[in-house]
Amino acid sequence: MGRPGDTTLTIVLYDLIRRGMMDTFLLSLTVLLAGGLFALLTCKLFSLMKAGYITITAVGCMIGLYAITGPLQGGEIATYSISWLHIFTLSFSIDPLSAFFLIPIFTVCPLAALYSFHYMNKADQRLRVGVNFFFSTLLIVGMALVATAENIISFALVWEIMSLSSFLLVIYDHHEKDTRKAGYIYFIFTQAGAMFILSSLALAYSYTGSFSFSAFAEIPANIKIIVFFLALVGFGSKAGMFPLHMWLPHAHPAAPSNISAIMSGVMIKMGIYGIFRFYAALDTTELVFGEAVLTFGMVSGVLGVVYALGKHDLKKLLAYHSVENIGIILIGCGIGMIGMAEGNMAMASFGFAGSLLHVLNHSIFKSLLFLGAGVVLQKTGIRHIDQLGGIIKRMPTTGSTFLTGSISISGLPPFNGFVSEFLIYYGAFHGLRLSGSSFVFTMLAILSLAIIGGLAAACFTKVVGIVFLGEPRTDMTANVQEAGMSMTIPMVILAASCLVIGIFPAPFIHTAFMALKSIKPLVPVGAEEIALVTGNLAMAARLFLAVFLFSMLLRKVLYLRKTISHKPTWGCGFTQPTARMQYSGTSYAMSVVDFFRPFVRVKTRYSGINRIFPGRTTYTTKVEDISEIALVDHLAIPFLYFLRKLRWIQHGHIQLYIGYIIVAIVALLLFV
Amino acid sequence: METYISFAIAVLTAPLFPGIILKIKAFFAGKNGPPLLIKYYTLIKLLRKGSVYSTSTTFVFKLGPIVSFAAALTVLFFFPFAGLAPLLSFHGDVIVLFYIMGIGRFFTVIAALDTASPFEGMGAAREVFFSTLAEVTVFTVLILFYRINGSLSLNAYFTGEEPITLMGQSGALILLVIISMFMVLLAENSRVPVDDPATHLELTMIHEVMILDHSGPDLALIEMGAFLKLLFYSAFITQLIFPFTMLDGLASGVLFFGILSIVYVCVGITESIMARFRMDLVPKFILTSFALVFFAAILTMGVFQ
Repeated sequence: MGRPGDTTLTIVLYDLIRRGMMDTFLLSLTVLLAGGLFALLTCKLFSLMKAGYITITAVGCMIGLYAITGPLQGGEIATYSISWLHIFTLSFSIDPLSAFFLIPIFTVCPLAALYSFHYMNKADQRLRVGVNFFFSTLLIVGMALVATAENIISFALVWEIMSLSSFLLVIYDHHEKDTRKAGYIYFIFTQAGAMFILSSLALAYSYTGSFSFSAFAEIPANIKIIVFFLALVGFGSKAGMFPLHMWLPHAHPAAPSNISAIMSGVMIKMGIYGIFRFYAALDTTELVFGEAVLTFGMVSGVLGVVYALGKHDLKKLLAYHSVENIGIILIGCGIGMIGMAEGNMAMASFGFAGSLLHVLNHSIFKSLLFLGAGVVLQKTGIRHIDQLGGIIKRMPTTGSTFLTGSISISGLPPFNGFVSEFLIYYGAFHGLRLSGSSFVFTMLAILSLAIIGGLAAACFTKVVGIVFLGEPRTDMTANVQEAGMSMTIPMVILAASCLVIGIFPAPFIHTAFMALKSIKPLVPVGAEEIALVTGNLAMAARLFLAVFLFSMLLRKVLYLRKTISHKPTWGCGFTQPTARMQYSGTSYAMSVVDFFRPFVRVKTRYSGINRIFPGRTTYTTKVEDISEIALVDHLAIPFLYFLRKLRWIQHGHIQLYIGYIIVAIVALLLFV
Repeated sequence: METYISFAIAVLTAPLFPGIILKIKAFFAGKNGPPLLIKYYTLIKLLRKGSVYSTSTTFVFKLGPIVSFAAALTVLFFFPFAGLAPLLSFHGDVIVLFYIMGIGRFFTVIAALDTASPFEGMGAAREVFFSTLAEVTVFTVLILFYRINGSLSLNAYFTGEEPITLMGQSGALILLVIISMFMVLLAENSRVPVDDPATHLELTMIHEVMILDHSGPDLALIEMGAFLKLLFYSAFITQLIFPFTMLDGLASGVLFFGILSIVYVCVGITESIMARFRMDLVPKFILTSFALVFFAAILTMGVFQ
């Protein structure tokens, strides 16, 4: 892309540098794929295979990170095209937005791979582990390509690679019935979602006649709305947007924890990427986009956290928290879109930037939490939080990193979750100057963020308090030991990043704003204002940390030469306490869940006390997802009823089946 | 310089004001009541003692008092006492402050759960639920203030040319804010009718039951944190009542602490003439405060444009 007057040499050099970026990126993908193949080929030598795979994956991701440094600093957009089946062109490019979504891919995935060294420790399943590693590689490569796909064909192709490889990863424990069911649900959702995305792409193509995303801007305005909403359904189901989130609470508990970490931390963000990419490509600022995205965000956020409170399977609970965080991300995105529609650029910039930064932050703390949950699950074999307890004493590293992740996900300063939530708040408050419906929407957005923040803190005090603190409720929990180094190191790194982003937010906020360059109509706020906000935020976080350290010192001084003794917990006069008397997660959350009653169905079964000498009494409660009930009752069952009427077509006579084929061919020949 | 002095006075006198509440309650009960400086004596007594730790607890239990104290103290750095410019301030600081209080609460709660006591778990569950509801009221207040003068920091609310007060332009709305912030004050600082720290039954408490196992200097830190937090909310209401920027230096300071004492007297009167609510009525109480300010926020859509 030489300017007039440039010598040929500069043009060539320029071209080389530009190509170089893309070549490095492709090199990293090649290295990653080589790692996957290596795992497949050497799975007989179990430890070597794992060590080799982890090293190669780490190297590949490192190269990938190097490749995106240019685009992240606003460098030239690099492109790569290849022709496929002679008629299609596959084309990939890295612009700042793509580069931003590549960060979590290239940072979280190698850590999850490292974690799998001790986590995948069953040597008798070595082939299956090798296959698992291969498909994880394919998933990483698929995600990286989704984030860089530049035209319809390449996008559809790599989207499917990503979806299918993740499906195969979910059904790792395919001999278990629950896992197969979860895999099936995931498969339906991911393919139905892909169907919506494909129909959106097809509709766009029918108007533009071009495969390129850049042609999207030429679609007529009313068709743009349909294209966007079709895509929103598809991407929403991938991201886990309420009410299309149902696969998350099934698939995450079923998948191995390193896979859950990648899927929840990174893969669902590809849905968010799709929403951003389509919004940028459609180049339109209709108010309805923002209002719809914001509404979905608020519903996902609030109900996600309420269901998380009601669920007591550790990984299921974390899965609902992904729904909640996707809600926060969508709220930021919606605030940004409303800002664009109203021409309020400060609102738009901070909304979008907060949303993007939350993508990165969530990928860090959510993978940390899933890895921590994986350790608990592997060591105790217990999923239900009411049977755990006191783990932090037995696993100090896992416990304290999980605590760090919990504070971060609750959006509390001075950790990273707060930084992105603050940016979204900041953008939303700018929107309060608007009038009419936009004002009401932004006001509701702020209130939802406040509710989400409070309930997330409630839920994570529950998780930390019931699982990691207190006394162990079962023998299994009482005898656990800390996990191996390869499992604790990734968690320590992730926990440290949570604090680092919280205290030094400047480069990360800057990067998020850089990524906004891909949204063309947006005129970001000035660099001074960003620097001011960032500086203040960093100051507040550091101030709090300083006051905290001061208080710690104060406490030390106050305890000089004091007698300290250890006694059992005060039982309020009761002399025979047992560990089973501790408050349970169920009772902890019940009053909150009850409060949201019409949106949450709570099933209670209580045998009652009805004789003078009561027998065994039982009490169980179960929180059911209303969207799941609605889907089964109002869609799946009527649909099945209808399909059952067509059963006579399947009768088992091969001659008639051949007859069907002939009739179909004849019909096609005649009419098409 | 005035700024530092006002901050120091506020922090040092924080334990004095709860003494007023006790005096008022004693007056209503027809008793003499404890001396006004009772809370100072309590703190000194606690600081002299050692501690007993439950064998169930971990480092989290010891972090609880530190974080809750640090959070309460940090918040006061940003508060413009008597209309004087605070030590620190920036656009958006209120959001940070309420979240910093959030982390204080987070650690109080997990420190309570660390003891493995069912009673403390019960208190913790109530605390997180009620404070979430109170947070919604607080953020609605912030929305309303942004609508009124477009600012997002305590400094900009209460100092400058046009502070947000009852005497100001939109005083009618501020009246609603004062009432609902008073309700939030009662809920967040575990006062009657939401919580009764003075009962003898752990089963019916919220905040007090969570700190049952803390003792000695740890308990002193928690108490001091609670005093600072109560001071923050009372001072917030005090600032809403009168525009202190109109007066200069000493006069505003005296008047500020005068009105502040009246707020504490009101807390005392409320405690004396009301009984604690049944637990299931508390959400309704807090949501009433939300309804009041939400109504005020909606009014800004039409009336003041």
